[in-house]
Amino acid sequence: MTRRLLRGLGHVGVVLIAAVAGTSAQAARPEPPFTIDPYPSTYQPLPRTDTLIVDVTILDGAGGRMDQGEILLRDGRIAAVGHGLPRDNVTVVQGKGRWVTPGIIDIHSHNGTYVLPLTSLDRKASDVSETSDPNVADTWVEHAVNPQDPAFAVALRSGVTTIQVLPGSTPLFAGRSVVVKPVPATNVRAMKFPGAVQALKMSCGENAKSFFGDKEEAPNSRQGEIAIIREALLRAQEYREEWHQYSRGKSKKPPQRDLKLDTLAAVLDGDIPVHMHCYRASDMSAMMGVAQEFGFKIAAFHHATEAYKIPAQLKQAGTCVAVWSDWWGFKMELQDAIRENAAMSDAAGVCTMMHSDSPVVGQRLQIEAAKAAGAGRRGGLNLPPEHVITWVTSVPAKVLRLGDRIGTIAAGFNADLVLWSGEPFSIYTKADRVFIDGAQVYDSAEPARSPESDFGLGRPEMGGRQ
Amino acid sequence: MKLQTFTALFLLSAAAGAQNLSIVGARAWTLTSDTPIDNATIVITDGKITSVSPTPPPASMRVIDAGGRIVTPGLMHPATRLGLIEVSSAAETVDHAAKAGASGAGFDVQYAINPNSVLIDLARADGVTRALSYPSSSNTPPFAGSGSLLHLFDGGDVVEQPRMAVFVTISNRSANSTVGSRSAQWQLLRAALDTAKAATPSATRTPDSIALESIVQGKVPLAISTNRESDLRQAIGLARDYGIRVVIVGGAEAWRVADQLAAAKIAVIADPMSNLPASFDELGARLDNPALLRKAGVTVAMSLDGVQSYNAGLSIREGAGLAVANGMSYVDGLRSIISAPAEIYGIADRFGTLAPGKDGDVVIWDGDPLEPSSAPTTVLVQGREVSLTTRQTELRDRYMPAVKALRQ
Repeated sequence: MTRRLLRGLGHVGVVLIAAVAGTSAQAARPEPPFTIDPYPSTYQPLPRTDTLIVDVTILDGAGGRMDQGEILLRDGRIAAVGHGLPRDNVTVVQGKGRWVTPGIIDIHSHNGTYVLPLTSLDRKASDVSETSDPNVADTWVEHAVNPQDPAFAVALRSGVTTIQVLPGSTPLFAGRSVVVKPVPATNVRAMKFPGAVQALKMSCGENAKSFFGDKEEAPNSRQGEIAIIREALLRAQEYREEWHQYSRGKSKKPPQRDLKLDTLAAVLDGDIPVHMHCYRASDMSAMMGVAQEFGFKIAAFHHATEAYKIPAQLKQAGTCVAVWSDWWGFKMELQDAIRENAAMSDAAGVCTMMHSDSPVVGQRLQIEAAKAAGAGRRGGLNLPPEHVITWVTSVPAKVLRLGDRIGTIAAGFNADLVLWSGEPFSIYTKADRVFIDGAQVYDSAEPARSPESDFGLGRPEMGGRQ
Repeated sequence: MKLQTFTALFLLSAAAGAQNLSIVGARAWTLTSDTPIDNATIVITDGKITSVSPTPPPASMRVIDAGGRIVTPGLMHPATRLGLIEVSSAAETVDHAAKAGASGAGFDVQYAINPNSVLIDLARADGVTRALSYPSSSNTPPFAGSGSLLHLFDGGDVVEQPRMAVFVTISNRSANSTVGSRSAQWQLLRAALDTAKAATPSATRTPDSIALESIVQGKVPLAISTNRESDLRQAIGLARDYGIRVVIVGGAEAWRVADQLAAAKIAVIADPMSNLPASFDELGARLDNPALLRKAGVTVAMSLDGVQSYNAGLSIREGAGLAVANGMSYVDGLRSIISAPAEIYGIADRFGTLAPGKDGDVVIWDGDPLEPSSAPTTVLVQGREVSLTTRQTELRDRYMPAVKALRQ
């Protein structure tokens, strides 16, 4: 129910609360306000025509493959996938043997908050996360997102159609994420994926204890981190109970709103999924213990460089992992990273995806998957392309709770697609055309019409839009 | 150090002598021509390549059948911190910059190289057999110091030749400039070269003066890490005014002065993944920078910022592949990570091609080496087959059985 509010009824919810609180009406007690979105999406699809893409190899994102297939895009949705589809009143795109996949989903980005070019201002205080306290669960990263970050347009041109902007990993509770479409916009609401749930970014391990410890503040140890997390969740349990009592009419006065506890209570309700930055197996294990103690599920560990050591535990908890193929070596806690991590986790039954955490890697998540799959194959694991593509399409879609709308090429899904110049896991392949909600948002044959940030205007040195 | 290096080479040559071998069935990218030789036989004797031809191998020699796979010379990373950094945020494992004492142009990393770094094993397993390990900014900007050439044997010393180039960094990143304006950085650099030029034979020598004199005497190149067009033009002017060899590291906007760089014979060690305006020095970054430079005739090699040490081998292969995807020819892609670095540092007489007389640094690949999903199946360093076991493969092998059990 609370999730329904996030799907566009947020402002109605606000009105309701105000009205109810003002009149003490017994009849229509409001839902707890934990997931009300006062800033709903204003996204509008770009101009589109119904389109039929023919003669393509389709990796459907859900494990299927079709050769010489056709995809019909109608009114922003995928209307049909198959052979010999009707061609009346559609624009026909000749695939000529090229490949089509669902639009790439980047479940871990800081685009818009670490805005390029970086300056000394960003080094002092970037907008990746509020770092004044280890618990900033009250912050919403969407309030910082600058759509003019050139990284958005570059992501779009490389086939990325959905991006989750997460806060950083310095705080333990780093705030709420926002899911966006990397389309040209002047404000984040015009990019927000309609109805997508927010997530809570959390972190464990070196970052928080180092950052706050260096300032002689808490936490300065891993056990200190977990103590702070448990304390906050205890308060959230009380807060949630107070609100549920009020909603059920068992108490008269609405509890006083607390923005941090709103977020944590929504986590306990299961309405806001937790995305947690962790590397070590021991850290992930400790955090799964805390989640079990408080009765919630961690949707995904991000980075999770040692997931391959504890796949059974992850599988049992129903916790996914979002990983790199080959980033490591910059911190002690990720020195056990191996390139087979994704393939091994996947083989053991853990739902597995690639993530970027970087506007550079975010342009090539399919290559991340290719590298991880290559390592897995050398380790004796069977990883056909139609399966590997799920790591950057349907799996992250499900983790974002959008698995019925994006990440798969099938009738009824949003028409978010990439037409690739070749096999998508080859380094030589590029995104030729990108569609979001049926609208062609990028065509490599028309570079002059490529999306580009306002930052690039009047700067001839920025050269070709490629 | 020279003596130690000599000893190491002698011992390894002796070991290699027992391992004369030939590779047959190779699709050999010799890099002496623009096309590969199919079904080639590569004969290696006493650590050196003695022939590359379509003829069968000599009898009674160990034979490795490449089975039609691609065979290349070993890769060379031209700007890494292998042996100087293991875990970048763990200070105990970091030795790439001087903060006091021997700092500035005279800082020389050769004494810090750790041949037991696990990053070296990984680089070798990714096909890298040569590398140039270089310092980062010291307390006396713009100078960083001298880099060392490494030959990645498995066991023993890896420093093949110290003081291969002197590195400086010119930028406006306040983080690495204590002197402020880039103009001041260029002035300091010019003043130092003026002093070196004016030095008399009887002048007192210091590590700084020795390093600077080696530049003005043309013995080693000056490697300038810089990105902005204006700084690249300054670098071209510096090469002209002092008659010195200059190499650019980075060069995000180098495509804008490609013809001038080519005319000045200035090579660029580019970051082929740089296409974002990460800083105001790199607004012109674009993926076809390496291809545009090569088209103009510039020698291009690859080093990827941030991953040049812990992913030394995989990153340059992926980067070269990306350069090919953006307009560079395939053979130039291979050259950018093999023979171009050898030319930049003046070791092309012994490394960088599959040709008689060259070191037996040879890699057999399980696919296209510019596809980052590929990997070596065999790596030879001076004719000796080296282990491809790394800390990472041991971790994989320790945990794989449990994974496979879960799969069933």
